[in-house]
Amino acid sequence: MDVLNELLGGFASALTWQNLLFAFVGCLLGTVIGVLPGIGPVAGVALLIPLTLNLDAAGSIIMLCAIFYGTTYGGTITSVLLNTPGEAASAITILDGYAMTKLGRAGVALTIAAAGSFIGGSLATAGLVLAAKPLGSLGLMIGPPEFFALVVVGISLLVALAGRSMVRALISGALGLLISMVGIDPVAGAPRFTFGMERLLDGVSFVAVIVGLFGLSEILSHRPGKDKVTVQAPGMRSLLPTRTDWRRSTPAFARGTGIGFGLGLIPGMTGSVSSLLSYGAEKKFSRHRNELGHGAIEGVAGPETANNAHANGALIPLFTLGIPASPTIAVLMGAFLQQGLTPGPTLFAEHAEIAWTIIASLFIGNILLLVLNVPLVGLWTSILKVPYPVLTGLILMFMVVGAYTINFSVFDVFVMILFGVIGLALRHLDIPLAPLVLTLVLGPLMERSLRESLDISRGDLTIFLERPVTVVLLLVALAIVCSPLLKLRKPAALAAEDPET
Amino acid sequence: MTSVTEEKPVAKVRRSVLAGQAVLTAVGAYVLAESAGLGLWNDLGPGPGFFPCILGAALVLLSAAWFFQERAGVQAAPAAEASDRSQVRAVVLSLLVLAAALPFIGFQTGVFLFLMYHLRLRARTSWIKSLVIALCGSVGVYYLFTLGLNVSLPEAGLVPLSLIGL
Repeated sequence: MDVLNELLGGFASALTWQNLLFAFVGCLLGTVIGVLPGIGPVAGVALLIPLTLNLDAAGSIIMLCAIFYGTTYGGTITSVLLNTPGEAASAITILDGYAMTKLGRAGVALTIAAAGSFIGGSLATAGLVLAAKPLGSLGLMIGPPEFFALVVVGISLLVALAGRSMVRALISGALGLLISMVGIDPVAGAPRFTFGMERLLDGVSFVAVIVGLFGLSEILSHRPGKDKVTVQAPGMRSLLPTRTDWRRSTPAFARGTGIGFGLGLIPGMTGSVSSLLSYGAEKKFSRHRNELGHGAIEGVAGPETANNAHANGALIPLFTLGIPASPTIAVLMGAFLQQGLTPGPTLFAEHAEIAWTIIASLFIGNILLLVLNVPLVGLWTSILKVPYPVLTGLILMFMVVGAYTINFSVFDVFVMILFGVIGLALRHLDIPLAPLVLTLVLGPLMERSLRESLDISRGDLTIFLERPVTVVLLLVALAIVCSPLLKLRKPAALAAEDPET
Repeated sequence: MTSVTEEKPVAKVRRSVLAGQAVLTAVGAYVLAESAGLGLWNDLGPGPGFFPCILGAALVLLSAAWFFQERAGVQAAPAAEASDRSQVRAVVLSLLVLAAALPFIGFQTGVFLFLMYHLRLRARTSWIKSLVIALCGSVGVYYLFTLGLNVSLPEAGLVPLSLIGL
C-alpha cells in the first residue's frame, strides 16, 4: 500500500501542467532526435541538458527521461519508412518494417510499433515501481564503502561495452577517468591537471565533453551522399491495423516485454541486444515465422516492444542502485548529479517525492508518445526532407548553445570543439566511446567514495572486506569482469557491430 | 620428421594508429610524471596523485599492449572510412571563429553569420531560406532561451552592437 500511495503522490506531482509540458516537450524532442540521422540518443540527451538547467529537479529529469525514451520511438520511424535505423535499437525492425512499407502497410507497422513500445515501456515502468521500494530500502545500509563497491560494479560494465577490442575499451575507460580527474581533488583540495587555468579548477564540463565526443564527432565523420532519401508518409487511414494484426502481434508484445525488461535489468546490455533477441524469439516461436523478413507484423511488434521495455527497464539499476546500464543512461545520470540528485539507494531515502514523480511521469510519457507518434508521423517524416547541410548548421548551433549555457562560458565551447576533434580521432582509431562516458560519470564518485572510506578506516583497505554488502557487490563486479572468460557476453555479431558501443 | 617453425607474419600497423598509440603513451607518461608530484599516499590513504598515477601507468601499458596486438594482427583496428576533410575543416574552423567572436559580437550576430555561412555558402540554400533560418536560429533562439527559458546567452561587447541590444 505504501508503494501505491507514493506512486499516487507521484502522479499528483507529475500531472501538474508544468510537468506535463516538460514530458510533452521531452517526447517531441526525443522523437525528433530519434528520427534525425547523425545525432544519437547519447549526444541528443547531453545536448538538451541545458534546456533543463533552470527547471526544478523533477521537471528537468522528467524532460530528459522523456527525451531518452522518445528517441527509441523516433528511431522506428526511419527504420520502417526509409530502411535506415534512426538509432541502433531499431535496426532489426528494418527487416519486416521496411518490407511492410514496400507492401503498402507502413502505417500499420508504425501503429503496431507504437503500441508495442507503449506496452513494453509501461510494463517495464510497473517493474520499476515494484523494485523501487525493496531496493531503495538499501539506502539505509549505504555508506562510503558500499557506495564505492556500487560504483565499481558500474565501472566494471565497460567490459560489456567493449566492442571489438578489450584493450581499446580499457584505453577509452582510462581516458574517461583521466578527464574526470581534471580540477580540484575532492578530498585534499589540490588542483590536478589544470595547467594553471582557473577555469579548469571545477573540472571539465561533462556536457561539453559528451556533446563534442558524440555529437560533433558524428557530424565531422559524416560523408556527403549517404543520406539522400525520398520518403512518403502514410495516410491516416492506412495507420489502422486489422483485427488479425492485433491478434498476431499480442504474443510478440508479451515475448518482447519479457526479453526487453529482463535484459534491461542487466547492466551493459544495450537495447539493440534486446531487439535482436526478441526477433530471434519470434523466429523460433511465432506461428508465422516463415513470413519473417517478408513483412510479418511480428517482426515489428516483438523488437519494438523489446527495445522500449529495455529502455524503461534499464532505469531500474539507475534509480535503485545508481548503476548506469548504457551510455545514454550514464548521461542521464550526469544530469541527475547536476541537479544535486544522486541516483541509487539514497535517492528514495533523500528525495522520495522527486523519485516517485519521475516514475509516474514515465507512465505519462509512454501515453504521450503513443498519442503523439501515430498521428504525427507525417510531421516526423517531413523532418527527414530537410537537407543534411541545413540540419548540420542548426545542430551545430544547438551544440554551441548547449556547451555555453552549462557554465555560461565560451571556454566550454572550445572544450566541446576540442573533444569533437578527439572523438573523430577515437572513431578513426576504432576506440569505442561508450566506456569513456561511463567512467567519466562514475570516476569522481568512485574516487571520492574510496577516499572517504579510507578516511573512515584510517587507510586500512580491509574495510571493504568487513561489510557484507560491500563484499557481495565487489564479487558481482568481479563476476562481470570475468564474464568474457565465461562467455557471458552479448551475441558475437553484436559485439563488433553494435553502434551503441 | 623435421619440425618447421612457422613464423606469423608481422602485420603492418597503419601510420595513424601508430600516431594514436604514441600520443596515448605520451599522455600516460605525462600523467604518471605529474601525479608523482601530487602526492601518492599519506596517513589517511591515497593522496591526490594516487588515482592519476595508476591511470597514467595503465594508459602506457595499454597503449603498448595495443601496439603489440596490432603488430600481431589480433583484434586490429579496421581501416576507418576517410572523413570528408573539407567538411571537417569548415566545421571546426567556423566553430572556432564563432566561439572566439561570441564575447565581442554576441550570440545573435555571431550565430546569424555562422548559419549564413553554413546555409548559404556551404549548403547553397537560397538567399531567402538562408536568411529566414539564420534569423530564426539566431534571434529566435536567443529570445527563446533568454525570455522563454530564462537562460542567458552572450551579448555583444563591441560598442555599436551592444548599443542596439545585440
